[in-house]
Amino acid sequence: MRLALYVTCLVDLMRPAIGFASLRLLEEAGCEVVVPPGQTCCGQPAWSTGNRPLARDLAKKAIAELEGYDYVVIPSGSCSDQIRNVYPQLLADDPAWAARAQAVAACSYELSCFLKDVLQAEVVPGEFAGSVTYHDSCKGLRGLGIKAQPRALLGKVRGLMLAEMPDCEECCGFGGAFAVRFGDVSTAIVDRKCEAIAAVGADAVVGGDLGCLLNIEGRLRRRGDNRTQVLHLAEVLAGLAPQ
Amino acid sequence: MHSQAMHFQARAGVQVANKGLQKALEKAKPLFVGKRAKGIAGLAEDGLGFEELRSTCEAIRRRVVDDLDVWLEIFEERARASGAEVLWARDGDEIRRHVIDIARRHGVTKAVKSKSMLSEEARLNEALSAAGIRPVETDLGEYIIQLAGEAPSHIIAPAVHKTIGEVEALFAKEHGRPAETRTSADIPAMAREARAVLRQHFLSAEMGISGANFLIAESGSAALVTNEGNGRMVTTLPRVHVVITGIEKIVPTLEDFATLMRLLPRSATGQSISNYVSLLTGTRGANETEGPEKTVFILVDNGRAALAGSDFSDMLRCIRCGACMNHCPVYFSLGGHAYGWVYPGPMGSVLTPLYTGIENALDLPHASTGCNQCGSVCPVNIPLPALMHRLREIQDERGLRPRHERFALRAWGWLAARPGLYRLLTRRAARYLRWLADDSGRIRVLGLAPGWSDGRDLPAPPGQTFHELYAARKRA
Repeated sequence: MRLALYVTCLVDLMRPAIGFASLRLLEEAGCEVVVPPGQTCCGQPAWSTGNRPLARDLAKKAIAELEGYDYVVIPSGSCSDQIRNVYPQLLADDPAWAARAQAVAACSYELSCFLKDVLQAEVVPGEFAGSVTYHDSCKGLRGLGIKAQPRALLGKVRGLMLAEMPDCEECCGFGGAFAVRFGDVSTAIVDRKCEAIAAVGADAVVGGDLGCLLNIEGRLRRRGDNRTQVLHLAEVLAGLAPQ
Repeated sequence: MHSQAMHFQARAGVQVANKGLQKALEKAKPLFVGKRAKGIAGLAEDGLGFEELRSTCEAIRRRVVDDLDVWLEIFEERARASGAEVLWARDGDEIRRHVIDIARRHGVTKAVKSKSMLSEEARLNEALSAAGIRPVETDLGEYIIQLAGEAPSHIIAPAVHKTIGEVEALFAKEHGRPAETRTSADIPAMAREARAVLRQHFLSAEMGISGANFLIAESGSAALVTNEGNGRMVTTLPRVHVVITGIEKIVPTLEDFATLMRLLPRSATGQSISNYVSLLTGTRGANETEGPEKTVFILVDNGRAALAGSDFSDMLRCIRCGACMNHCPVYFSLGGHAYGWVYPGPMGSVLTPLYTGIENALDLPHASTGCNQCGSVCPVNIPLPALMHRLREIQDERGLRPRHERFALRAWGWLAARPGLYRLLTRRAARYLRWLADDSGRIRVLGLAPGWSDGRDLPAPPGQTFHELYAARKRA
């Protein structure tokens, strides 16, 4: 099985460890993993600000790079949602690209969905001595139905205890440009998330989208919580979480 | 209501910092969310599933929106046959003229009102007062904000932004008594106090003004869904009853109405049915002792007809339950007033630009994290985030976004299409961000994005990009 790992622009720049954790998980599961070298960004920022022509151009670029693999795996719910759900509609009226967009969309999976639903992974390499709480990111949850997969996988991490926080499906207030454009509103929203995290008192909050995690960690630290770790699911599953 | 939507960003900042408001919202949110969840779960007792039911409700509303003109003609004919008068209003101006004209013809000096968001669209109270007709709001929430001289901040809970202390101060002043310290246990007593005052108005007003939750085409009736009973007084006690409602509120049959009623109260307040459901048809009959002598329907366009057949026709399905705002993280950080016009929350972020001009409400379609909590609870399946997204695209197509934003996006897009250059610059950026960080690995001030760093740190990257490290690993 030959698959392409789409690490996402945010992981590339802000937290390469998530990319390496994904690599480890996929390679240990026996996959041949290729990191297509030209990959940059899936175009979500252009799409969500309403610049359709630019979003289309970047979609075509990504599709051309991601074609020809058995699967494409992405350690992000929102980038997966972009590729799986947005690309086909973005290119639906372009005869040269519609079928290609659909083909790439059909074989693209968010990391936890790929591990659980496609590979049906029974073991994961990670170990974690402590309790974690899982934040459901919106695009993954409501766009792709990611809910059971990450929890099932976390359940296989030795030593890990999963404790659900209240309102785990509530948005963290990130929303891409939203967090910069309406910083104060975003802060008010992420404050509620921080309170939910504090209420459950876990050692770490885990999620599948780096954008949300940067937002949550940034606010936790600003509020003076220097204890709660903020980790990507891939890091925990791969046993690459700094502990 | 004059739109203030262009000032959203500034108003949002003020509301986020408003402690009293935050307290009121914090209290309301779990109630709204919890009650709806319970109400929807209760569907199972009737052997119904939410998803199937909302598909049915969506289909009923689609059928109307697809042939709106036909259903309106049927409604008009049946309503006239039952003795009501049917008038049409293109905009707020025409609503005001119609109502004042009716009031003058019938010698009206006071009008009691039950909740009507359309009268807010038309700024009707202002116009009535100017014409010497006293409007009295009788929905408890509307009564409170009328005393406060404010606009509703929520479509079904207009005074949700008020704390009990604020309400007590208003009541003490209006009812001429000293203010007391109140807790939520006093709410029934306060409601009784308002009721005693309102009762006199019901008995003395010559005109009642209401909205309608639905217009039923087959019977020519208005359906009214309320919890306080004031709606029934407004529509039956005064001599004249005026129903002001949007042209999109039609449902074909009573059967369809019954189906929609499965989801409307559950979505709004979690109730399986509201305390009062009224079907109002025609005028007082020859052998009847109650009901208005004159019933007038004012069917309002005010931007609605233009949505039919457009990219935004989905929005015409809206049944005004409020579930979208009740589940919106942005709404519950700000309350409704920040949105600047009649309708707040996700449905308002779509309707305000469409009804008051896209260029007059540039922030609203962006005032969403795209979480789709609204779309997932909407009882008629309106894809609210997709509609907000379409408005963002129109802003971009028309060149309405700020120049610096367009330039930054274009520059970034140009770069993202050139992997070699992109790698070079992201490597630099990773090092720069690392350099900005303090000893604990956090960036506390981010000059490029102060909106971010005013409220939170940015966890710093390690200083080398993934692709850089991966290339090194492959070489090794």
